[in-house]
Amino acid sequence: MLREPFHLSDQDILLLVDGEISGRRARQARAHLTACWFCRSRLGDLEGTIADFVTLHRSTLDAKLPPSGGARSLLKARLAEAAAVPSTNRWPRLVQLLPPHRTTAHLCAAVLITVLGFIFLLRHSRLQAPNLALVSMAIPNHDLTPGATRPVSIGDVCSMPHEEVVRAVPSSLRQQVFREYGIVNPRPEDYEIDYLITPGLGGADDIHNLWPEPTSSSAWNARVKDALEERLHQLVCDGELDLPTAQRAIATDWITAYKKYLGTDRYVSQMRRPALLENPS
Amino acid sequence: MPPTDAIRELPFPASAGTGSSAKPSESECEVIHLFEQFRNPLLRYVVSRGLSFQDGEEIIQEVFLALFRHLQLGKSRRNLRGWVFRVAHNLALKQHSANKRTQATSDFDEALAQQQPAATLNPEEQAASSQRHERMQAVLRALPEQDRCCLYLRAEGLRYREIAAALGMSLGAVSIALTRSLARMGRVDEG
Repeated sequence: MLREPFHLSDQDILLLVDGEISGRRARQARAHLTACWFCRSRLGDLEGTIADFVTLHRSTLDAKLPPSGGARSLLKARLAEAAAVPSTNRWPRLVQLLPPHRTTAHLCAAVLITVLGFIFLLRHSRLQAPNLALVSMAIPNHDLTPGATRPVSIGDVCSMPHEEVVRAVPSSLRQQVFREYGIVNPRPEDYEIDYLITPGLGGADDIHNLWPEPTSSSAWNARVKDALEERLHQLVCDGELDLPTAQRAIATDWITAYKKYLGTDRYVSQMRRPALLENPS
Repeated sequence: MPPTDAIRELPFPASAGTGSSAKPSESECEVIHLFEQFRNPLLRYVVSRGLSFQDGEEIIQEVFLALFRHLQLGKSRRNLRGWVFRVAHNLALKQHSANKRTQATSDFDEALAQQQPAATLNPEEQAASSQRHERMQAVLRALPEQDRCCLYLRAEGLRYREIAAALGMSLGAVSIALTRSLARMGRVDEG
């Protein structure tokens, strides 16, 4: 606690004034401050720096903050809309409320509708190959896209400039990937030619590491995968996961990896980025 | 500037504890109440992270819609201030990455550039103040990203455990980051 054995450290002074220490430790620190002019002057300096920073921070932005009225009204409208949509977690409760025979009948009907819908989708998709691809390509064809890496160290991966992590796939390679997957005249808004193993985890610029990933039409889409990539990168750089394991996890089945490393079975649906919401660290 | 107990305790409505059994209208009112409390601090924080006010507003909408669902599902109500800042931080991070791809400009940088010294100062003092602010901004920009986030979150009144939860750090790391940042800021007038 006491530095050199007579004075408080800067960290202890800050912890004290921020109210982050209590009990005997706080009493000791306060008693020392009362007795020690040197530490009191350092406390004064620290408070001065805090005041300068807060003044700078607030004066920079406060005058420019837009009024909140419009945003508040918009939020109210969106909340009302959200409240009208039943939450998926209410289903189990709904099922509990139904009599057993009716529950079975409802479940059978739901299964039948799902099967019929799937058959319809398949038939319809045969006429429109890209749509079939959208349905089926949340996970790449591992014969075409097994994943490929380049030799990198953890240091390389964790110090990689952002531009390299999100670098675009060259146009010629993109066309080649679409051809490999038999997609003719793809609509740009439907697909992102994505790295299976992201460059941020040592993925290579290789056709075996690229596939046309649905951007939004599929539940498990490119945005959801982005969240997994960020999470794995963070775990690797924090030393909580080794790089080969992260590469293997994302290459083998990224959806399973998502559920494991983000700790949720839920994906982006109504919210734009719920994976990050629920599993931010 | 330690936050007051009133802020620390976050006076959430008593009806809040029942989670999914709360009527939607109550949940909506609660979320709006929290929006009014935290909208400005959140907006300052996400804009200081390099986003435009427009992106910041959109993120805050998403934060509170997510909070609404969080409350509707009866999830934990502990440390909701930390929760909203954590969600905002992560959304800002994501948006920031997206903006880098499109090279969007930051309203924060613009605000810094346009900042004027207090009108009560005489011209000489204004010049000195302006130079000092520039030096402080340079120190801030040179800080590690995580240290800067700690400073901004602390400036918005978050306690160390809330900052730790928002940024995925340990309490000790928050304490060290704040001490280190303030030490650097404190040396702004040296040489």
